[in-house]
Formats: sequence, C-alpha cells, structure tokens
Amino acid sequence: MTLFDELVAVTDPERVTDRPFDLHLHSADAGLRTGEATVVVFAETTEEVCDVVRLAARHGVPLVARGAGTGLAAGAVPTEGGIVLTLTRMNTISDIDPVNRTAWVGPGVINLDLSRATAPFDLHFAPDPSSQQACTIGGNIANNSGGPHCLSEGSTVNHILAIEMVMADGEVVILGGAAPDPIGLDLRGVVVGSEGTLGIVIRALVKLTPDPPEVRTMLCAFPTVEGAAAAVSGIIAAGVVPAALEMMDQGMLVAVENWLHAGFPTESAAALIAEVHCAPEAADAEVDVIREVAEQEGATEVRVARDEAERALIWKGRKSAFGAIAQTAPNYYLHDTVVPRTRLVETISEMYRIADDADLTMMNVFHAGDGNLHPLIAFDATEPGMADKVHAAADEMVAACVARGGVLSGEHGIGAEKRDLMGTVFTELDLDAQARLKHVFDPDRVLNPRKILPAGSRCFDYGGSPLPEGTWI
Amino acid sequence: MTGWVTDVHPTREELDACVHCGLCLPHCPTFRLTGNEAASPRGRITAMRAVNDGVLSVDEDFEEMLGFCLGCRACEAVCPGLVPYGRLFEGARAEIAAQRPTLVSSLRRRVLGRVLPTRRLVETGSGVVRILQKMRRLLPGAVGARLDGLRDLSDNPPSSLGRVAEPEGKPVATVGLLAGCVMDSWFGAVHHASIDLLRRAGYRVIVPRGQTCCGALAAHDGAAADAKRLAEVNRSAFAGVDIVVADAAGCSAHLADYRHWVDGGIDAETKDITVVIAEAIADGRLPTLEGDDPVVYQDPCHLRHAQRVTEEPRTIVRASGHRVTEIDPDGICCGAAGIYSVLRPRAAGELGTRKADQVRATGLTTVVSANPGCEMQLRTHLGDSYRVIHPVELYRERLLAESV
Ligand SMILES: Cc1cc2nc3c(=O)[nH]c(=O)nc-3n(C[C@H](O)[C@H](O)[C@H](O)COP(=O)(O)OP(=O)(O)OC[C@H]3O[C@@H](n4cnc5c(N)ncnc54)[C@H](O)[C@@H]3O)c2cc1C
Ligand code: SF4
Ligand code: SF4
Repeated sequence: MTLFDELVAVTDPERVTDRPFDLHLHSADAGLRTGEATVVVFAETTEEVCDVVRLAARHGVPLVARGAGTGLAAGAVPTEGGIVLTLTRMNTISDIDPVNRTAWVGPGVINLDLSRATAPFDLHFAPDPSSQQACTIGGNIANNSGGPHCLSEGSTVNHILAIEMVMADGEVVILGGAAPDPIGLDLRGVVVGSEGTLGIVIRALVKLTPDPPEVRTMLCAFPTVEGAAAAVSGIIAAGVVPAALEMMDQGMLVAVENWLHAGFPTESAAALIAEVHCAPEAADAEVDVIREVAEQEGATEVRVARDEAERALIWKGRKSAFGAIAQTAPNYYLHDTVVPRTRLVETISEMYRIADDADLTMMNVFHAGDGNLHPLIAFDATEPGMADKVHAAADEMVAACVARGGVLSGEHGIGAEKRDLMGTVFTELDLDAQARLKHVFDPDRVLNPRKILPAGSRCFDYGGSPLPEGTWI
Repeated sequence: MTGWVTDVHPTREELDACVHCGLCLPHCPTFRLTGNEAASPRGRITAMRAVNDGVLSVDEDFEEMLGFCLGCRACEAVCPGLVPYGRLFEGARAEIAAQRPTLVSSLRRRVLGRVLPTRRLVETGSGVVRILQKMRRLLPGAVGARLDGLRDLSDNPPSSLGRVAEPEGKPVATVGLLAGCVMDSWFGAVHHASIDLLRRAGYRVIVPRGQTCCGALAAHDGAAADAKRLAEVNRSAFAGVDIVVADAAGCSAHLADYRHWVDGGIDAETKDITVVIAEAIADGRLPTLEGDDPVVYQDPCHLRHAQRVTEEPRTIVRASGHRVTEIDPDGICCGAAGIYSVLRPRAAGELGTRKADQVRATGLTTVVSANPGCEMQLRTHLGDSYRVIHPVELYRERLLAESV
C-alpha cells in the first residue's frame, strides 16, 4: 500500500487529501515561507494521531503538525515535504474545574473559544496572542506564545499543567499533572516551545486565571516614538506593572483606524495602550501614575476607556494590526526580537534608521512592556530584488537587537524562518545540547525536521562553518 | 494553466489585499464545520491567487471550494486588511460558470438570471406552490419540508408594484422600493409594512413598474451577464428617486455593490429598510413605543457582515416595545445563503440546526430577522410553534395596535 492508502486506512477517506489545491493551501502559514506538502491528514482521535505518526516513521517522511496556520515563523510549513497533520478537529474542552481552575483542552481548540467557554465561571486562559481569535492551543503550546497580557501573567508555559503527547514512536505520554510541581523531571517546559519537533500535543491540562476585579484601559498619544518608548520603562520604574503595555506607531494607527473607525489618534507618532488589573480601590492610583509618567514624556492625550465597549474596541484595533498591513502592501516581514526594556528607546530609533536607509516602509506594533519588538516591513514581494533587500534590512535589525543584549524570538518561535539566525545568539555548544535533546525525543528526525535548529547543530556533524547551509544572511 | 477568462475575474490588486494572517478563519462557517484551510476564506483567496498566478487552474476542486462557500461575507467584515471578499467570490463564481458549465448548473443560472426576474413566471410558480401548500399533508417528506419555511402564500397581500404612497406633509425625500423577485409574491406583507412606515416617516414612496430582480442570486451563482443586465434595468427604473430601499437584506447588500455590475452603480443612495426606519425613529419621525417583551433578534449576514448594519434593526425592535435577546456573538450564518440550502442541504442543515438550538435555548418563541432567506431557514428548523417576522412588520403591528 502507498502512504496515502495507509493513511486512509487508519483515518477516513474524507480526511486525507493530496489534491493540488489542498496541498498548495497547506504549504504556508501566516508568514512568508512556503513548502510543499505531500499529503494532508485531518486527525480526530488520539489513535489516529498515533497511527499517523507511526506511518510517517515507517515511511521515513517528515510529519508537520498544523493548528490554525497563524504562525509567523513557518513552524507549520512543510519545508521538507511530507505529511501535514492538521489538528483543528480535535477541539474538545472537557472537565472545566472552576474550583481548581483547570480544564482539559484539545490541541485544536481556538484560544478565544477556551476563554469564552470558561467565562461563565469568571475564568479565562491568560495567554492572549493578538491572533487569539484564530490560533489554537496546540500552536500556542508549540510556540510558547505570548500576548499583550503576558506582561503580568507570563507566557503559555506558565499556564500549562500537563501535556498529553504522542511521541515519535507513536506512544502516548502525559507530562506533568494537576500538581503545580510534578515529581521527577519536569518535561513540560521542554515541550512547550518545541514547535512540534518533539511530539504531537493531543491534549493539555491548562491553568485558568480568575477575571480581574477591576480593569482600566488607557490610550496615550505621543508626538514621538521615543517619548512613548521612554514612558514604557518610566511606568515600570515608577512601580506599576500594568497587565498590558503595548505600542503602535503612526503607520499602524492609520491602517487600523481606516478599517475600525475606533478613534485611534492617527495624528500622533505613537500610542501606548496600558491596561491595569487590580483591586477597585487601587485602580485610580495606578491610572494616575501612568498618566503622570506619560505626560512627563510628552503625551498629548491620555484617554481612559469609559466602558467595556470602548475597551473592546481598543483591543480589537491592537489585535488586528498585522492584518491591517494589507492596506499598505501585499506582504510583510517581521521579527520578534526582545531587548531589555531600558534600551527600548535607542533600539527603536535604530530600527527606523535601518528602514530609512534601505528606503523601506516599516511599521511598529509590539508588546512594549516586555521589550518584545515587532518591526514590520511592508513590501511587495513581486518587485524584483525586494525580498533580498527586506531580508538584509531585517537581519540588520536583528543584529542591532542582539548587540543590545536582545534575543531572537519573544513568542513567534524560530521555525524555519529564524532558524539560520540561531548561531547569532547560541554557541556551538548550546546548539549541540539542543540537538541532543531533539535526538532523545525523535532520533529519526520525523517530527518537523529542520526546524529551530540549523543544519549541523550537533558537534559531531558540524562542518566547522559558522554559517550553516541554507543561510540567507 | 488557463487562468481567467471573464472580465469580472478576481484581480491581482484585490487578491493582494490579503496578507494571509488567518484572522478571518474562525468567523467562517465552513471552516468552523470542517477545520479545513481549503474551506476557509484565506484558503479560498489563496486558491484564487494560485489561479491568478497560473500555478493552478479553475478545476473541479476550485469549483468545490467556492461552491462550499456561503457567500456570507463574515470574513470580509472581520478582515483588517479590507479584502473585498464578496467581490472576489462573485468574480470566482463567474469564472466557474464560464469555464466549467454543466447542463444542471447552466439551467440553474438560467433560472436565477432569467426566470426569477420575470414576474409572470414567478406568479405562475407561486400559484403552483400555493396549491402544493394546500396538499402539504399528501406530499412526501423531503418535498414537503421544502415548503415548511414559506409563509402561507394564500395570505399574501396584493402586489405592491406600481404603488405610489404620499406622506401627510411635504415629503422628506422620495424612496423607490425594490419589489424584488419573490418578495412581492411570497413576502408581500413586508412590502406593505415597509411602504406604510416609510409614508408615516414622511417619505414619498414609489414602487416603479419598470424594475426587476436585483440580480444578487444571479451574481452569486456566476451568471455575470444576467447580473449586469438586471443592474442596468434597475438603474434606469429607479432614475430620479433619492433613495433606493430594499426590505430584504440580500437585495439591499447587492444594491450597495451595484458599481461592480454597472458603471457608477445606481444613481441614488441605497439603503436597507431597517436603516431608513431606524433613522426616522432616531429623528422622532416615528414614535418609540413602551414595552419590554423579550424577542430574539437574528442578524442576517447580508446586513451584519456585508453592510455592517447591526444596531438599526435592534433599534426598531426596541422602539416597537420589545427587548432584544441576543443569540450569537459572532453572527455565524444560519445556512440559508440564497439557494445554498437547496444546493448544499447537509452544511445548510448543520448551520440551521445550530441556529435553531441557539433560539430554543432562550425559551422565547418570536424571532425577528430582516431577510426572507433567513426567515425560511429559521422557520424550517424551528417548526410552526415559533413566529419568525421582519422587524418592520413587528414595529408596524405594535404601532397599529397602539393607535386603536
Ligand atoms: C495577526 C497575528 C498576530 C499574532 N500575534 C501574536 C502574539 O501576540 N503573540 C504570539 O505569541 N504570537 C502571535 N502570532 C503568531 C501565532 O498566532 C502564534 O504563534 C500561534 O500560537 C500559532 O498558533 P496556530 O494554531 O496558528 O499554529 P500553527 O501556525 O498552525 O503552528 C505553529 C507551530 O505549532 C506546531 N503545532 C501546532 N499544533 C501542534 C500540536 N498539536 N502539537 C505539536 N505541535 C503543534 C506547528 O508544527 C508549528 O510549529 C500572531 C500571528 C498573527 C497572524
Ligand atoms: S482575508 Fe483578511 S483576515 Fe483573512 S487572511 Fe486575508 S488579510 Fe487576513
Ligand atoms: S463568505 Fe462566508 S463561507 Fe465564504 S469564505 Fe467568507 S466567511 Fe466563509
């Protein structure tokens, strides 16, 4: 039997496809890179996932897990061909436990659906990527995704108590458990953020967070980007850690306003969105501190959302920002670097300088409180030479961040997109250790091969070249 | 690779508006049903781009992907990139019609493009339906069930075509009412309520005889030449009015997009009836009645998504002395979608059942919806112990009851 026939035999003819359109559509995520899937399977049960993994191993073809395909680092892109295993149909939420504040969730559950399901208990799932209306818990775990509110709550890894996972040999394991500190080696932290390279997540026990008693959402407009950036560290230095602290620059404000008509300050060079979650008595004081710092840094307007509707509108605008780029150009390329908050002002100025020098349109919308930058270059990939120019500028931006003590990825993952930049932040020894870990989980390199780790990461197959093959530096 | 062959094909510029961010995925009913990228808006747009770029052709799979799409435009409303999905969809359907005609689909397009716009034929057909309704109990289940969504045609009031209604004082403006293809024969009471309310709100109302079907169903099914012809007929028929109003959401949405079919679109403002009446209520030209009886309001996709009209129908329901009970935060399509429920009974049935369950969960038995397709779908899935009614009818009913 061919691989296709065997896949049909273990699933359902309607859920296996190798039709050209299906393969084409499953060969990309929300980023720029594309691959070439050989076959696409939609799994519904644990047994099916186990069988598919075994078949992949037996046929020696790569297996790439896919959630909603909103990833930006080509994690779900079949760059090496092979099976794309879509998990969107495994979307059951069970055992919501309002007392212990936990729930078991399938990998295909959409992030926002989970919070909606737990809303009647005044609980929510804290990691809230801007893509939360679309992205799946499986993808969130794989990328250790963050979101605006991770400033106070931490990223996905802090909200996963246990992971049920299919290993590369088709066996099922449960890592972690309901106890906050499971006995033995805590492998959850290894799997969260492993981007589908160590196993296929089929269920997770998630921690639910109580809804805050009081929420205030503020929008502060600044005449300069540097002023907004200075306010970010100023606010935190003043002793307030907002639940979220986000920045949008003028290009982004205009694009979002065009679509949403929410009253964003399009005349300003930048706006900060700050949200405080606290006890009702403390709210006014925190709002006042933020207002004061913002005004000191030159804010021309500080607005506090009057009601839930206004608050929702501000967040809708912020969270739709990447999509709004489409109004400017058909493609965008972004990095996801993190720099120490204290160096935010200079780093941002440097980003604009690099974009200006290369004559590229850059916009910024990012998790300012974490120092997690998303310098976003909007361009038309069909213009000759454009892609190279964009990549060159983007690499320069990464280098500028790394030089300031930054790291490669705050939340989007490494995937294939940032893989070949790993050498800029990790030593050979670091990469070797990571490659050994991968080897323990997946010796035959079936699961999402050639993601995260550049070729030659293991010392013994290191060719000596500091620039691994396929690098586009 | 054949690429495109018509002059209404999706263009590079329109397709480029999509940056494949995926934010539209969960809002798409067919993606929700399947979890399949190929049944998602992003997937459909990427497929169109593949044809546009000569990577793939308009084949059986392309036809299936676009055939499965409801044209509900939920994706368009949530797209921050302002991708004109409704336009792309009609362009792609026209390509399918041109490149992959079959006997059945050509016949169907003929019915939508030629028969429905012909008044005499619709009246004859309605006569047959009226007889079938009388023999409902004798009909086999599947055929009978098709009729259950309809209103009782023997109660349908006389045609509104050719009517002119004058307001009491000096007219605020002249409204031309679109009579539609089946609205007049099947939902005539909605026209009567619309005309009466418009007149009370100070409008002069005319229902020009020279008009025809708006062409929405033809356009959605790829009958581009017919869609253009119908748009041109209506453009002339409504020349001289200030506002063209339709009281079926599908029609008002299509009128608003007439510029896709005829140069410059229609030469007047176009509005859904709910928008005009809500404006009159806000201005005090129509009264706000007391009362707090709960009813369910269901958003038709062609109001909520295609025209972003959500508040106005609710304003009317409230002004009629009712409280609005919400059922669906996302406004996912009920599955009616023009002739979709006939072509794709399985998907339409799943969506209809979902919507009916949401209504049942409220414990209420009156559902307000401003589109005939949704009305029929809701009635089919809820059964006759539920009342499904257009907001203007609900409002006028209370208005008349108050003035007695
Ligand atoms: C508009 C927009 C805004 C975004 N905002 C944010 C943000 O604020 N914060 C943030 O962190 N990210 C953000 N992202 C990136 C992206 O949404 C997240 O990385 C998200 O978690 C991906 O989820 P997904 O379901 O789309 O996964 P996919 O893109 O389908 O897959 C992502 C990775 O997860 C793996 N994977 C998926 N399911 C499983 C599974 N069951 N088991 C093992 N591996 C699996 C895939 O192999 C791949 O490596 C944004 C993206 C967009 C387009
Ligand atoms: S249609 Fe809009 S929302 Fe959907 S993927 Fe494209 S840009 Fe994003
Ligand atoms: S029109 Fe409706 S069914 Fe079609 S792609 Fe958009 S959301 Fe999905």
